[in-house]
Amino acid sequence: MSSPPARPAEGPSRESPAEGERTSSLEAHALVRAFGPIRAVDGVSFELLPGELLTVFGPNGAGKSTLLNLLAGALQPSEGEIRMGGRLRSHGEVEWRQQVGILSHQTFLYGHLTAEENLRFYGRLFGVDQIEDRIHERLSAVEMDHRKDDLVRTFSRGMRQRLSLARALLHDPAIVLLDEPYTGLDVHAAALLRDLLSSLKDGRRTVVLVTHDLTQGLDLADRVAIQVRGRFEFFGSSVELPSGPPDAFYRSVVEGVLGGAGGAP
Amino acid sequence: MIRYVQQVEALVRKDLLLELRTWDRLSAMGAFAVLVAVLFHYAVDRTLIHPRELAAGLIWLTIVFGGILGLGRTFALEEEDGAIQGILTSPVPKDAVFLAKVTGNFVLLGLLVLLILFVFGLFFQVGLGGNPFALFGVLSLGVLGFTALGTLYSGVTVRSRMGETLLPVLVFPLLVPMVVFGVRGTSLLFAGVSGAEVEGSLRILGSFSLVALLAGAFLFRFVVED
Ligand SMILES: Nc1ncnc2c1ncn2[C@@H]1O[C@H](COP(=O)(O)OP(=O)(O)OP(=O)(O)O)[C@@H](O)[C@H]1O
Ligand SMILES: [Mg+2]
Repeated sequence: MSSPPARPAEGPSRESPAEGERTSSLEAHALVRAFGPIRAVDGVSFELLPGELLTVFGPNGAGKSTLLNLLAGALQPSEGEIRMGGRLRSHGEVEWRQQVGILSHQTFLYGHLTAEENLRFYGRLFGVDQIEDRIHERLSAVEMDHRKDDLVRTFSRGMRQRLSLARALLHDPAIVLLDEPYTGLDVHAAALLRDLLSSLKDGRRTVVLVTHDLTQGLDLADRVAIQVRGRFEFFGSSVELPSGPPDAFYRSVVEGVLGGAGGAP
Repeated sequence: MIRYVQQVEALVRKDLLLELRTWDRLSAMGAFAVLVAVLFHYAVDRTLIHPRELAAGLIWLTIVFGGILGLGRTFALEEEDGAIQGILTSPVPKDAVFLAKVTGNFVLLGLLVLLILFVFGLFFQVGLGGNPFALFGVLSLGVLGFTALGTLYSGVTVRSRMGETLLPVLVFPLLVPMVVFGVRGTSLLFAGVSGAEVEGSLRILGSFSLVALLAGAFLFRFVVED
């Protein structure tokens, strides 16, 4: 495969007229987040439609988690803007967070509370209706209902990850942000997560998925981004990806920026 | 508004449930208060001074030193697995988080104060005075302001390199009005004056608490946001 030119970060793309007519669900424009001298997110722009799933790949330290935290409303951007359904994040931080569910590197769970108590706590913060039914439903979806009365500190890594997933989806968010959700999951749980992800693609929701696994990441993706040193070096629809092995393309994009130091995703 | 109250309630219940399960802060503060009271007992030369004359001041110092132990760990339980991020990514206004933390801490410090009154009753022969309502007024208004300041600053220090050791350095200078008027009101009440005579102290302690609460609720967002 000939080395494809790394595409610079694009502005909002409106290729097909059918898409252009629908309002975008999640949109970032020239988004920057600096930590002192480090620009962890450095001018990222994209636009996603309702129902779309974006997968972000990139080497360690590329700023993927920082991007998700900006989208979640947990971090303030240094520059640029983010919109959901056309509304600026800064116009209503609380309303923004109500619509977002994030699964982060950390589980956000309390070890001294049971699985059910953790979910009930977050359910109350989000004002979830019929909370007990909802908790039960979410716990079954990740096959954790048999451990609902056990303290989270007694859980294994993968069990915490499952519960954290239930927590992130408890309030039925319109925007779902998943930071390496497959971490710690066994083969069965990974298949569960895959089913859960495809059930999230019900046309109403927008999902941003960060992963290092190209196969799992490309599986359900409508859009793909490769982030390197804070920038989207590639952003496009998954069908626009050049034919050939995806890891060769990934490597060529990363090495195009880092010069040989790209390594595995 | 109802939503706001529900969120505060959920946060307070969670904090108190965690404290009930672990006894982390209550046991540390309680043990400290009892031991300090014992040390104070031996530190006072009873041939020169009647211990009751010193009791009010020592009670307030024990509240401050014991309380700061617990207040300093306000956010420690949130650090566990990024739980504070969980709260900050939920649709809870920052001031609601602050008020919930103050409420939970106030309950813990209230229990601490009851324990301190009991222990000093044993070692320093002080009772509740002739006017227990005024005494509880003085104590709770003073402790409320202290709790608000301690909670705000524990949010600051939890992220600093020095951590909890920095907390007293930041908070104690701000406690001067609380200690002055808290001690004055308390010692007057121990001496058996009527409630009307501590009205001035009550008013100042009330304003102190109100300012601390409002400032904390307003400033807290700058402490947790980055
Ligand atoms: N709170 C912070 N303070 C200072 N620097 C930070 C902070 N968070 C992230 N960074 C820096 O921002 C850059 C991007 O970090 P980030 O965690 O977003 O990377 P990532 O793409 O998620 O990496 P990984 O694949 O390892 O999870 C890194 O250089 C990191 O050191
Ligand atoms: Mg990351």
